[in-house]
Amino acid sequence: MNILVCLKQILDPDIPARDFRIDPERREAVRGSADLVTNIFCENALETALQLKDAHDGMITVLSHGSEEAEDVLRKALAMKADEAALVLDDDAAQADPLQAARVLAAAARKLGSFDVIMVGRESGDWGVGQTGGLLAEELGVPFIALVEHLDVDEGKLRIRRQTDTGTEIFEVTPPVVISITNSENNLPRIPKTRDVMKSYRKPLTTIAVADLSLTPSSDSYFRLVEISVPEKETRCELVEGHNLEQRIDAFAHRVAEIANTTR
Amino acid sequence: MMPAEATREIFWNVPFPWLMYVLLVPTVVVGGWGLYRRLRLWRTGGPAMRWDRPKERLALVWRHAVGQGRTLRRAYSSGRASSSSSVFHLLITVGFVVLTMATTVVMLDHDFGTRIMRGGFYLFFQSLTVDLFGALVLVGIGIAMIRRWLQKPSRLVFTDEASAILIAIFVVAASGFLVEGWRIAATHDPWGPWSPIGYLIAQGSLAVAEPSTLTTAHAVVWWGHCVVTFAFLAWAPYTKLAHVVTAPLNIFFANLDGHAASLRPMDFEADDDATLGVDDLTKMTWKDLLDLDSCTECGRCTAACPAHTAGKSLSPRDIVLGLRDLMHDGAETLLAAPQDDTDNAPALPILQQTGALSAESLWQCTTCAACMEVCPVYIEQLPKILDVRRYLTMEEAEMPPSMADAMTSLERRGHPYPGTRLSRIDWTDGLDVPVMSELDDPGEVDVLLWVGCATALIERNHSVVRSLAQLLQHAGVSFAILGREERCNGDAARRMGNEFLFETMARKNQALLERYGVEKIVTPCPHCFNTFKNDYPTVGGDYHVEHHSSFLAKLVDDGRIQSTQAAEHNVTFHDPCYLGRYNREFDAPRQLVQISTHGRTPEMEQSRENSFCCGGGGGLSFTEEPAEQRVNRQRASQALATGASVVGTGCPFCMTMLEDGVAAVTGDLPSDDAAAKIPADSMPADSMPATRMPAKRMIVKDIAELLWDATEASPDT
Ligand code: SF4
Ligand code: SF4
Repeated sequence: MNILVCLKQILDPDIPARDFRIDPERREAVRGSADLVTNIFCENALETALQLKDAHDGMITVLSHGSEEAEDVLRKALAMKADEAALVLDDDAAQADPLQAARVLAAAARKLGSFDVIMVGRESGDWGVGQTGGLLAEELGVPFIALVEHLDVDEGKLRIRRQTDTGTEIFEVTPPVVISITNSENNLPRIPKTRDVMKSYRKPLTTIAVADLSLTPSSDSYFRLVEISVPEKETRCELVEGHNLEQRIDAFAHRVAEIANTTR
Repeated sequence: MMPAEATREIFWNVPFPWLMYVLLVPTVVVGGWGLYRRLRLWRTGGPAMRWDRPKERLALVWRHAVGQGRTLRRAYSSGRASSSSSVFHLLITVGFVVLTMATTVVMLDHDFGTRIMRGGFYLFFQSLTVDLFGALVLVGIGIAMIRRWLQKPSRLVFTDEASAILIAIFVVAASGFLVEGWRIAATHDPWGPWSPIGYLIAQGSLAVAEPSTLTTAHAVVWWGHCVVTFAFLAWAPYTKLAHVVTAPLNIFFANLDGHAASLRPMDFEADDDATLGVDDLTKMTWKDLLDLDSCTECGRCTAACPAHTAGKSLSPRDIVLGLRDLMHDGAETLLAAPQDDTDNAPALPILQQTGALSAESLWQCTTCAACMEVCPVYIEQLPKILDVRRYLTMEEAEMPPSMADAMTSLERRGHPYPGTRLSRIDWTDGLDVPVMSELDDPGEVDVLLWVGCATALIERNHSVVRSLAQLLQHAGVSFAILGREERCNGDAARRMGNEFLFETMARKNQALLERYGVEKIVTPCPHCFNTFKNDYPTVGGDYHVEHHSSFLAKLVDDGRIQSTQAAEHNVTFHDPCYLGRYNREFDAPRQLVQISTHGRTPEMEQSRENSFCCGGGGGLSFTEEPAEQRVNRQRASQALATGASVVGTGCPFCMTMLEDGVAAVTGDLPSDDAAAKIPADSMPADSMPATRMPAKRMIVKDIAELLWDATEASPDT
């Protein structure tokens, strides 16, 4: 089984709210002193791939589309025991456009070889658009299954379980296929061993300049970012009064009902 | 008629005296082999640099091997001092030293023809002194027997060997007295009364037996005494009594650089295949192995261990003894093992499924160093624990889940608090604290105020650093913070065994500090303080770093801070391990406490170098522990027992651990599961070893808070 896992590097989504600022002009988040991390759903995808490899053997290539700093993401994946890594260098990669991302990834995937399964994360922790997977499948002309939480190989076919609003669906697919992975309790990313972290820095890493992918410039994107802003949130604290617990509960219930009525 | 000169006939009434010399040969051979056998094993260990500073080393041997400095210190167990332990040891040791001198005198007199065993020397030393010291041995043995067989303190290991040793010493000493007494009786020795014990035996025996009977009995018991003594000497090197030799050796080779030097630096560039950390006895250093053979099984370390005291399975003594057994059981492997460094399966695996050498136990260590502080023979337990942790973390990526989360967070965002909603600068709200990156000339700033993750990201500690910042401003100190740029300096990663992550973080921090030209650092966190002071130099960073206690104390001494409104409450100070035991700073924080209050400042039962850990070191503050095994509750009880209303401290980890502990013990402010388990008016008897304290309110305050409150300029609170 030849697996490609696409990994996106994003601004740490876990920074404290007050450290998060945006640049409305450039329509992007200000990096500040925040760290860059691997998108968590991409890590879930990598973990799923690693488990598949542990069970059935195979080859895992990790691919990222980003700036030079995205090398960290790939090194970490190598430390977790991915076999090969490739980075498409693109200074515009941080932009939100999923179609552009899918085109770059598709071209890079073709260049890197042929894959039975291509995995992406369900969505990214920065923009959260969640469309790259589907568009990538479209570009490559293969089927797409979204929100997958588990997959297994059975006589050359893939058995894929995906989450739906009401339960799960199980598919049987003949590769190649693109799937987007969602988080489940079974695909929490493993912690790499330090020995492997150290070794990861000595493994080769293919770098591809985005220009070398000979993509035709896209003017046809359906996706345009018009404006971004941080929602204002207001918190007010009111204390209800009363002489004893019962009175206070009463007052509290009345107040809740009042608020519910006015906001309805 | 009285002979002209006092002496006695050596070998009087002894048939075949030459036979003694013959028996000496197997005794020396067997005993010598016992020691050589150990030496051979130590020599298989890896390198350790312990030959430097010989003068200091000899001085240490003088103080602690000859003078038994640490043996005589009071031992603690569950916060209570016990002292009988050391007395018996001193009696036996001193007694044996004198007895050995007496034997040497006999040898010099008889075998070397010096004729010194005569006259006043014979009477005062060889008779009177030796007799009395022999009696001390018997008294010492008596105390030891009472302890071992009747009192049975839990810190002892109850082996047949230990009992046999006591019996053997008793038989040797007692038979010596019988031989002496019967000789005095049978020869009507005119100098008899100079040997009071022997003389008593003589008188008593003459009352029930004829001198001729005693003469025969003397010959028999003399040989009995000789054979038992020789057998004992031959056997001793195979038992824990080997410590008579190994203890001084081990003390000579002790770590002279303090507890902070416990962690060996690692070289990640050197050898790709070398196992990271230690999981294999064959990978230990010769000093580690010597340590194992030096253990006297006294149990002081385990009695002092906060984790053990709180009811956990960790036991530094049993780690040492477990490794010692592994060393002797695996002697052949050790002697055969070539010191090759491939990641093959370990030849003598250290980790066990259960017991003292299980991963579970080793993860309970708070790295408080209490064990090393009390060990009378300077055994280094902590490096062994941390070496295995290094292996678990770096080779196996196996650690308690909450520690793994903290580690991942350290890796990703440079602090160990996943999910915190606080930012590094929240505490500065409303204060005008300069931030390095916003200054035109950061090089102009005198002092970097290193806040530390636990101070910046745990809300309770904000008032600590606010107090500190305002004190610095008040005293006119030129300082700045790194603000959002600050990242953990790596202490937590290091103590959790991830040396690689520590080095990565240290390098990043050094680059940042270099960028701002930082030379002097002040920090309210003893862990940060220790890391900058003792760990960074090993990876090439040299700063002048001070804990806020000593820095503030100097400002007070210089008159730049004055306490004008000292409080009335009684304050007891809790020594943070990394400030006190690790860096020997005991006085500065006490000085600050003193000037902040007019009240009493009682000491806890265990304080200064004997301080009892809050339970938060070594990554333990990131874990959830079973409520009944929490170290902080023990410490809180000790604090409450002083009757003080405030516990002073100087560490953000101690702060939260003690607050939780006090809340849980007093039922004052139930926190987390204490709320569910401990009703406010009653404590389950088994959840606290100490008796429940009267529900008295006690608050925990950092010394900076205490001082700021006492300073007139403090309207802040
Ligand atoms: S360092 Fe402290 S917690 Fe660890 S074994 Fe020693 S006494 Fe126990
Ligand atoms: S390691 Fe030291 S303190 Fe612990 S039992 Fe052995 S000799 Fe005693």
